[in-house]
Amino acid sequence: MTTSKVVFNNILRFFFLILIQVLILNNIYLGGFINPYFYVYFILLLPYETPGGLLLLLSFLVGAGVDIFTNTLGLNTSACLAMAYARPHIISLISTGPDSLMGDSPSLKNQGLKWFLYYSISLILIHHFVLFYLEAFRFTEFFLTFIRIILSSIFTLVLVLISEYLFYPREK
Amino acid sequence: MRNLLVFLRTHYFILLFLLLEAFSLSLLFNFNEFQNSAVYDISSTFTGAVNRTFRNISEYFSLRNTNQALVEEMAKLHSRLPDAYYKSDAYSFYRKDTVYQLQYRYISAKVISNTTNKRNNFLMISKGSLQGVKNHMGVIIGNRIVGQVVSVSPHFSWILSMLNKDSKISGKFKKNNQLVNVEWPGGNYRYGSVKEVPKHVNIKEGDTIVTSGNSDIFPEGILIGTISSFTVATDENFNYGTILFSTDFNSLGYVEIVVDLMRKEKEELKATFKSE
Repeated sequence: MTTSKVVFNNILRFFFLILIQVLILNNIYLGGFINPYFYVYFILLLPYETPGGLLLLLSFLVGAGVDIFTNTLGLNTSACLAMAYARPHIISLISTGPDSLMGDSPSLKNQGLKWFLYYSISLILIHHFVLFYLEAFRFTEFFLTFIRIILSSIFTLVLVLISEYLFYPREK
Repeated sequence: MRNLLVFLRTHYFILLFLLLEAFSLSLLFNFNEFQNSAVYDISSTFTGAVNRTFRNISEYFSLRNTNQALVEEMAKLHSRLPDAYYKSDAYSFYRKDTVYQLQYRYISAKVISNTTNKRNNFLMISKGSLQGVKNHMGVIIGNRIVGQVVSVSPHFSWILSMLNKDSKISGKFKKNNQLVNVEWPGGNYRYGSVKEVPKHVNIKEGDTIVTSGNSDIFPEGILIGTISSFTVATDENFNYGTILFSTDFNSLGYVEIVVDLMRKEKEELKATFKSE
């Protein structure tokens, strides 16, 4: 893929995922304990080559985009920044070397299910941990918040996997 | 100097991360100051426009419920018209009534954004400072509690929902006027908690909790909910109750903002008290 096409795709994904998050996912009620934050898919799919500064900046912006719609400025941005900071470390931790990374950006198709699961589960958990604990910010709700984190992470992961299979199907 | 540059270059990723993270955490914890800035007005106007567009589409799906609520409200109002009263005498007279003086006025507003699934929920409504909405005004629906205004831009306002960890409503038992605090512990949006009910209060299932009117935000007697269960503490001096909210926060279409016409007088009185 050419660079301009990659940039265009990511810009489109940026706005699309924020709108999905604030207009649909934030309004779905699932027992009060499950809040999927599917917009982190944007950070998961940024190209490997994204410079560190740009990675942090884009994560900040996507978090701020969600925050202004829920009147919680600083909440999603903090969580996204933690996730973006961890991303290069996680990638180097679970990959055998730079040669083992196929294609431009992380995907199920290029890297296989195992790699992609490790990658997305760890990053989603980091994001959700920071987000939910900052949101509750009380020790009395420690375990309740923990349950919310686990349930919501599972739901977010399912949404990520579904979109991986829908939009980037494996070639037969 | 050169070493510093080398240091900045090799560690810029973590340094930039720490800088941005510190910035967002300060935004999160100093949110009240930020609410007064011009950036906040602009972002509210933008999100308001997006939310309103989406709401204009989605509100068609709830027209049936909206109609139902309007018809009920209309029936209630009809029953208060002069025509609905039996006139006992042929002539009428005028008397300047100093006992009943108008204290509350209501502004109706459309809810354009609302969540119930977060730990801290806010609503956005389509009326702002141009329509007379001000900070710390109470928000109700019918005779039931919703929340209070926390920030206002020219055309929109953010409402701190009852479903928020910062919401602490001063309520009372309708039957004996015992004061209690109502909070939302998170989780199911139908249930809140009543903490620190003194032991001598005879708490029962089905007891109605209404606003106390002590807080200047809500008029007295606005419905909060009914007690659905309670625990009798053995070692402490207080009992705890769970309350079923009267308001269905997940289906709010229109709300009313309470304008207290005597608020200024109350605040002036408080100010004189403090200055002495």
